[in-house]
Amino acid sequence: MENANFITVFLDWLMTFETSALVAAATAIGVGLAMIAGIGPGIGQGIAAGKGAEAVSYNRKSGKQATMVMLLGAAVAETSGILSLVVALIMLFANPLIGMEGTAIVMVASAIGAGLSMIAGIGAGIGQGIAAGKGAEMVGKRPKHQSAIIRTMFLGQAVAQTTGIYAMIIALLLLFANPLL
Amino acid sequence: MEFGPQIIFEIPIFGGIPITDTVVNTWIIMIALTIFAIVSTRVMKKVPTGKQNVVEALVEVINNLTSQTMGEDKKYFSSYIGALFLFITVSNVLGLVGLRPPTADVNTTFALAALTFLMIHFFGAKSKGVGGYLKGFMEPFPFMLPLNIISELATPVSLSFRLFGNIVGGLIIMALAYGGLLSVSEAVGLEFFPIFQAGIPVALHLYFDIFAGVLQSFIFIMLTMVFVSVAMD
Repeated sequence: MENANFITVFLDWLMTFETSALVAAATAIGVGLAMIAGIGPGIGQGIAAGKGAEAVSYNRKSGKQATMVMLLGAAVAETSGILSLVVALIMLFANPLIGMEGTAIVMVASAIGAGLSMIAGIGAGIGQGIAAGKGAEMVGKRPKHQSAIIRTMFLGQAVAQTTGIYAMIIALLLLFANPLL
Repeated sequence: MEFGPQIIFEIPIFGGIPITDTVVNTWIIMIALTIFAIVSTRVMKKVPTGKQNVVEALVEVINNLTSQTMGEDKKYFSSYIGALFLFITVSNVLGLVGLRPPTADVNTTFALAALTFLMIHFFGAKSKGVGGYLKGFMEPFPFMLPLNIISELATPVSLSFRLFGNIVGGLIIMALAYGGLLSVSEAVGLEFFPIFQAGIPVALHLYFDIFAGVLQSFIFIMLTMVFVSVAMD
């Protein structure tokens, strides 16, 4: 045992626990990992807020409209954070892996993987925030075109969300319809 | 906790067809929208008054949106787009009256996205001719064919899961918030009368049901219009 590889020792040690305990532990890691996606909306909304402040400073008259567009865009940029929260809450309160029969290591990896996949939300959050910022900036400059700008901004943000949606599909598949189990 | 659609009853043919609350709530929306359409258009006047004003404004908004987004020559899609918008919006805000939104079931959203998918390819082939339509898959280079096919197949998936994910996310968070407020009420000894469930969830309803609900239905119809008009041009 002294010469054994560290990884082998670790895996052997893991196997001394019961399956349900292992899955619960992996769920805890996965829930924490899923919430890392919050980085994205944070950065994105910060960018949007900065651009909004800039727009207001250039043109006080259209300040209200720029603020409104900034808030709307930032609310959409929050979506990936909400999706991560949903996956984390499902894993905490309605985890289908707990109590399921199957290979312990695959279930453990699925729980961690479901959390890991949600990290993709960072990209969508930042991208949507940039779009919201640009929208606020341009509404500040040309308040007349507000409705057209908001429409284009929402459409682009919806498309930017796509990879985050794919991440959520994979996370839900790993939890509810896992083909590996 | 169970977040999926619940089976309400079974139709006792073919070994029992399960009917979930998704289907029942869809029927409720269908009946409500039909009654709304009949009542608001029964007595039409040249100069609109009352409820006819509201309906005419609604129709005009959707007509303008369609002709602006798809072009004046494709204005005839506005009847489908309007019906789609009304159905999805009413579904999304159904959480306000305590019913489960049908759009919180991936079967509903995927059916709607499949309609969009069929429209993209049917009208694309119709306006470009079958040859020109098939040639579109070889653009810009012939070896892009597999990638083009994958991206076409990804369209209904992302369209349906965007709507589903947003609505079911709101549904789960609302359910947990109500559960949490119930346990707060129990902690102060008011389990028979959960006072904290009154008033406090309004902000959550405002964001998840009204803002996200209307925004997602708007995004769904906008993407449908853009995809179909791009396929036709």
